[in-house]
Order: sequence, then C-alpha cells, then structure tokens
Amino acid sequence: MSLFAYSLAVFILATAVATALFRDVLSVIIVFGAYSLGMAILYTFLLAPDVAMTEAAIGAGVTTLLLLLTIARTTRPSTDRLRERIHLPAVAVVGAFVVLLCTAVLPEMYAVGVTDAPVWRNADVTQYYIQNTYNDTRVQNAVTSVLAAYRGFDTFGEAVVVFAAGVSTLLVLKREVFA
Amino acid sequence: MPASLEDVFLVTAAAFVILAIFVFYRAVVGPTTQDRLLAVNVLGTNTVVILALLAAGLDQAWFLDVALIYALLNFLMSIAISKFTVERGGVL
Repeated sequence: MSLFAYSLAVFILATAVATALFRDVLSVIIVFGAYSLGMAILYTFLLAPDVAMTEAAIGAGVTTLLLLLTIARTTRPSTDRLRERIHLPAVAVVGAFVVLLCTAVLPEMYAVGVTDAPVWRNADVTQYYIQNTYNDTRVQNAVTSVLAAYRGFDTFGEAVVVFAAGVSTLLVLKREVFA
Repeated sequence: MPASLEDVFLVTAAAFVILAIFVFYRAVVGPTTQDRLLAVNVLGTNTVVILALLAAGLDQAWFLDVALIYALLNFLMSIAISKFTVERGGVL
C-alpha cells in the first residue's frame, strides 16, 4: 500500500522539520507530540506494535510531561520570531550525510525474506532458535524468548536502568507536587 | 482484480493520513498555542482512527491495543498542556 506509506512519510518529515525549526518551546513540545503520532503509525504499519506501544507511552505521555515540568520549573524564553534561523553550513553537512546514506547504504540492505542475506549463512543458529525456543522456554514468541530467557541477564541489566530512571522521575515529580 | 474490503480500509487510512498533513498545517501556522493544542488533539484522534483502519485492513487485531494506549495518552497530553497554559507550574 504505497499511497499510505508515502503520505505517512510526508507527514513525518513535515512534523520533524517543524519540530526542528520552531523557536517557542511550548510549540516545539506540541509539534513533537504530532511527530510521535506519525512514528507510532509507522511502527504499527511495519508490523511492530510493541515498538509502537513504547513510542505511544514515551512520545505522547512521558516526554511531553517531563518537558512541560522542565519549563514549569525553569523559564519559558519569550521570543518574537516564530522560526529558528536556518544555519546553512549545518544544513549542507546534514544533507550530504543523508545523500550518502541513501546512495551508499540503502542499496546494500537486503530485501525482506531474501535467502542469501547474511543471517542465513548461520542457518543452524537461526533454525535452532525457531525450532527449540518453545521447548526450552515455554514462550510462544521467539523474539520474546530470546530477550527474556536466552539473554536474560542482559535484559535484567536494562530493567535495572529503567527502574532507576523511574525512581528518579518519581523523586522529581514529588518535589514538583509538594513544592 | 476487484477491490477487496481490506483495500477499501487501507485507502481510507491513506486518505486520513493526507488529512493529517492538512491538520498539521494549522499546528504549524498557529497562531496561538490553543490553535496548536487543538490541532494536535485532532491529530491524535485521527491517529486512533488510522490505527483502527490498519487493524481491519491488515487483519491484525493487536493493532487495536496500540490505538487504545494512544487514545489514553493523547488525552493525558492535551490535559497536561492545557493545565500548563492556564496555571503555570501546576502540570500534575
């Protein structure tokens, strides 16, 4: 469904450019919410609803609240200009990098489902996970079983980091409420 | 090949995405914060509709979970920004 994908790409590009160019902080926060809406639809369209849920929770909920709390506790700089002035050398460097990525890197990527992709050179490993994950871990989704069982210590470390971030966020919020 | 019901859902979703681009025009030109807030709120409702249409068009019922989460958090975002503009500092 290319019409859907192309119009979605135009929407995401427009929101990203607007987020970069606005000068007023509150407007940037609002427009960034629109950007995260587009990204959530894109992740869902690419059949990754778990990533889309994370984007929904982080993009629409946590990021907006934390940024609002930040400008509530500090200041919201008042500006008379609507847009940021465009820095042409920076645009040239970033544009050259994007052109390099599109011309050199993108053609090297393998299409979905191609059997001569590098992952098939270790077909034994891939087949082992596909065939044995349910018997080893009793988890039906192979990706989930790799995350939660085969590399469980790694995921445990990430969970500790997320827990620390949550505790520090609670500390900040508590000070906000009882100030 | 006759157009199936799934194609109708997907074309409708594409039309909603094109509509979202025009709604985003209001979020960009403003001119007031209230205009931008309303535009993003409409975009959020639009997103929930698009996700529901994708769930029907691609036949993936679990997309509706994402739509539900977005409906809740989009409301939270609008409330937070509204409260911030009315009473500075009282976000929560």
